Amino acid sequence: MTTATKFKTMKDLPRVDYLSPGNPLCAGCGGVLAVRLFHKVLGPHAIWVNAAGCMTVITTYPLSPLKSNWFYTAFASAPAGAQGVRDALDVLIAKGKVKPSEDMKVVVVTGDGAAYDIGLQSTSGAIQRNLDFYYLVYDNESYGNTGFQMSASTPFGSSTKTTPPTSRFPIGNESPKKDLFEIWRAHKPPYVATLSSAHVVDFLRKVEAGTTMKGPKLYLAMAGCPTGWGFGAEETIRVERLAVETGVWPLKEAVDGITKHTYVPRALKPVSEYLKTQERFAHLFELEQRNAPVAAIQESVNSYWRAVSAAEGVQVRLVE
Amino acid sequence: MKNDRLITGNFAAAWAARLARVDYIPAYPITPQTEIIETLAKWVREGLMDARLVQVESEHSMLTAAGAASLTGARVFSATSSQGLLYGLEMLYNMSGWRAPMVLVNVSRALAAPITLAPDHNDVLAARDSGSVQLHAENAQEVVDLGLLAYRIAEDRRVRLPAIVNLDGFFLSFTREKVDIPEQAKVDEFLPEYKVADPFSATRPVSKGSSVMEGFAYSYFHYHIHEAAQRAREVLREASQDYESLFGRRYGPVEAFMLDDAEYVLVISNSFATLGKQAVVSLRKDGVPAGLLKLRMLRPFPVQEVASTLRGRKVVAVFDQNLSPGSGGILYPEVTSALYHLRDRPKSVLPVVGGLGGKDITKHEMMAVFERMRALGRNGETAPAPMYLMRDDEMARVNRMLSVARGVQPKK
Amino acid sequence: MNAQDFPLYGAERRGAPVTAFTRVSDGDILERGYIFDPDISVVMDESLLDDPLANPLAGLRRGGVLLVNTRRSAEAYRRTREDITILTVDLTDLALKVLGRPVLSAASAAAAARVLSIAEASLQRAVADELEEIGVGGGLAAKNLELAGLIYAKLKPMRLETRELGAAETLVPLSVIVSGSGSEDAVSTGNSYLRRTGDWRTYRPVIDYARCTDCMVCYAYCPESAMSVKDDGRISIDYDNCKGCLICVTECPLRAIVKQQEGVA
Repeated sequence: MTTATKFKTMKDLPRVDYLSPGNPLCAGCGGVLAVRLFHKVLGPHAIWVNAAGCMTVITTYPLSPLKSNWFYTAFASAPAGAQGVRDALDVLIAKGKVKPSEDMKVVVVTGDGAAYDIGLQSTSGAIQRNLDFYYLVYDNESYGNTGFQMSASTPFGSSTKTTPPTSRFPIGNESPKKDLFEIWRAHKPPYVATLSSAHVVDFLRKVEAGTTMKGPKLYLAMAGCPTGWGFGAEETIRVERLAVETGVWPLKEAVDGITKHTYVPRALKPVSEYLKTQERFAHLFELEQRNAPVAAIQESVNSYWRAVSAAEGVQVRLVE
Repeated sequence: MKNDRLITGNFAAAWAARLARVDYIPAYPITPQTEIIETLAKWVREGLMDARLVQVESEHSMLTAAGAASLTGARVFSATSSQGLLYGLEMLYNMSGWRAPMVLVNVSRALAAPITLAPDHNDVLAARDSGSVQLHAENAQEVVDLGLLAYRIAEDRRVRLPAIVNLDGFFLSFTREKVDIPEQAKVDEFLPEYKVADPFSATRPVSKGSSVMEGFAYSYFHYHIHEAAQRAREVLREASQDYESLFGRRYGPVEAFMLDDAEYVLVISNSFATLGKQAVVSLRKDGVPAGLLKLRMLRPFPVQEVASTLRGRKVVAVFDQNLSPGSGGILYPEVTSALYHLRDRPKSVLPVVGGLGGKDITKHEMMAVFERMRALGRNGETAPAPMYLMRDDEMARVNRMLSVARGVQPKK
Repeated sequence: MNAQDFPLYGAERRGAPVTAFTRVSDGDILERGYIFDPDISVVMDESLLDDPLANPLAGLRRGGVLLVNTRRSAEAYRRTREDITILTVDLTDLALKVLGRPVLSAASAAAAARVLSIAEASLQRAVADELEEIGVGGGLAAKNLELAGLIYAKLKPMRLETRELGAAETLVPLSVIVSGSGSEDAVSTGNSYLRRTGDWRTYRPVIDYARCTDCMVCYAYCPESAMSVKDDGRISIDYDNCKGCLICVTECPLRAIVKQQEGVA
């Protein structure tokens, strides 16, 4: 990450908004906040290429909150849509059919369903072809638009509509969250980063870093979801902040495949503080004798940060 | 000036893309179209074409990239077959909804299961409801010519839809025939530059493909797609006139072959039309009033031409090289519904299904179809049972395969 | 007795206005879909009466009932139509008192049931069943039943004799449908503010400028872009579109933003 940055404090937040209000998404949506902040750094002259998800209905004909281009493609293929736009711009500008001043940044925006599951194939292809594009994932750890079913991004222990906790399956979702950051990083693209709107300056700097590079710039943004995760709309930032402070959502970046954490909590808060804020984890606490799930989650967080300490030489006090 | 070469159907398809000066070719390999993209890749890399060819990781991505590029303002070409066409099929519906023109060559290949490489038309006909225009080629000359006409039609303001040009795998894709390759300068006269109405633009941004939740609005947009597809007929007529004056060849939605006083007419499409024509010529030599109607444009379906050329005939047979299980051939109901309201509609329309999975059709089989038509003419049957073509030697071979499959040693 | 019901929602998410339909009949119900000519229209959010997209009065039959959740009296709505009965009940107030939240389902069901002369015991059973289906039990279910009973008691049954408004409808031929552009492209100018999501609010955030130090935290965290920074650095809220998520209230480090109930002076 470049040390010369425009963003040092909250006050450096750009004052121009490229989204108008009036979108139909849930009040308190962490996803739309991530898009708003991302666009502030990106500036104008952009095209947002979208795959099915909550964000798809941000534009409903004839209304759009964007002051930039919008293109809904298909669930599995937003990165391929980005490929087509980028290639066409390159060819047409080279042929003099489009002015260079008409060039624009190509941004894929999808939820975790598209990014982790059905769209992984087209994402891998676009990265492998070194497509010059941004990819912003708003990760609400579910298929949100269809009513909160599990996705490969759903964390262990989460209740969802397709992994409801029952006496036979008391944990709810038993599979681990797929590590998309690592999958992307394995392609060795120029830039990969995790984001949280609760850490605004870190967010802005990472987008800024991307604007200095060519090739795939991939962002995994936490998207606190009041409707799906089960908390009041006014809590979104508080919940995201706890995710970072408990070590559940690490803030990191990988430049050319080399990882560095951009924010390291000195002392992790216990994961239960984060889990307790959301109804999707409530059942874990109701399992009196079975504090196993919460302990398992704590241990996986601990083991992640042990590895980070070893790899990057940073001190983190774990919750043992 | 003629420029006759002996080239395959696939090579002819590549020529159409080159002559059309396409900007962008998203590509993915699949038998039997692969030679098309290999040829184009070579030409692009040798600087013979000013275009970008990008191989992507699936046909679904390929067609997405195609539509996206088209809406950005690039003239797009691609090619696929069979499983690939179906894998990306939802994107054809998307493209017609986006009103994104392109030319997609489909080299027909029968669909799995069982998996095969040989041709039939279930693949391209699966796309018949997608809002794409469809032109079907009988020979390599038609491949080039229809490829160029397809750009005129697809990009016309009145249409703005993807256009599929179909050619049969093996019987056309790998078969070399004489082709007069059009002169580039004349093609430049024929094809205007592609201009998209509201391109993605940095300074004048647009939204495309936004969600539409109200049924009446969705209906509105889709009625427009239907209207646009219908207008492709008149655009073909206009374009064909220009094409004839420049290149000396004229193409309508159908081709009438020895129809004049024909009493027995075979309706057929694609490369097996050649076999049908051979049968008609032979029958005519024996004084049988036989004729053939070739369907060249399948979408929009040429209702008027079908009605006007088949009215008053004694017996018509519809040769479907495809099958909709539980119904029969796909073109049969489309043809008969075009005839239904005519007072002088043919007395009998015979459904024929043949050539599935590229099954060979011999002269004798074609003759058998005409024989059946003549018998129907004599006995006046009006609801004839369908013919499903299979010869006894073929049946014997199937039986041997079944025995071997069961572990039984075949008798010598 | 026979019944049929369904909700209608478009892209709008939780917090947005929704429409739901119920048919009740002594005999078979040979109808389906949108109710174009209701006998009763229950409006749970009175701001929707002025919303042209919602238009809850559309098609309401002559002699029908308009039931509005409001603290105002029926007199305030006399201007709308002469040929209907207007009933007003403050459902929100009672819901806040009994449930602690402005959740109105049981309350509005009770109001409609009473008007339709449905027996209270049936209403109570229905409320209990619906809540069980969505996993609400125990104390909260009991409170909902209590709320339903209170609303039920406030109203009287009505004998409904209604007539269609009788507006004419004609079909448009294809040639007219396709005479225009047909392109689904739209200019992207950020025109979403036309949706007026401010109507979603139950509470609004109000900035106490005496305490505010322009630190920008609230501005940063507003998901809606409903806040803007004026030239003098002061934060301003667009109440036409603020959804009332109240993240700004939660996050303001000086507690300089308070929440205020909508519709209270």
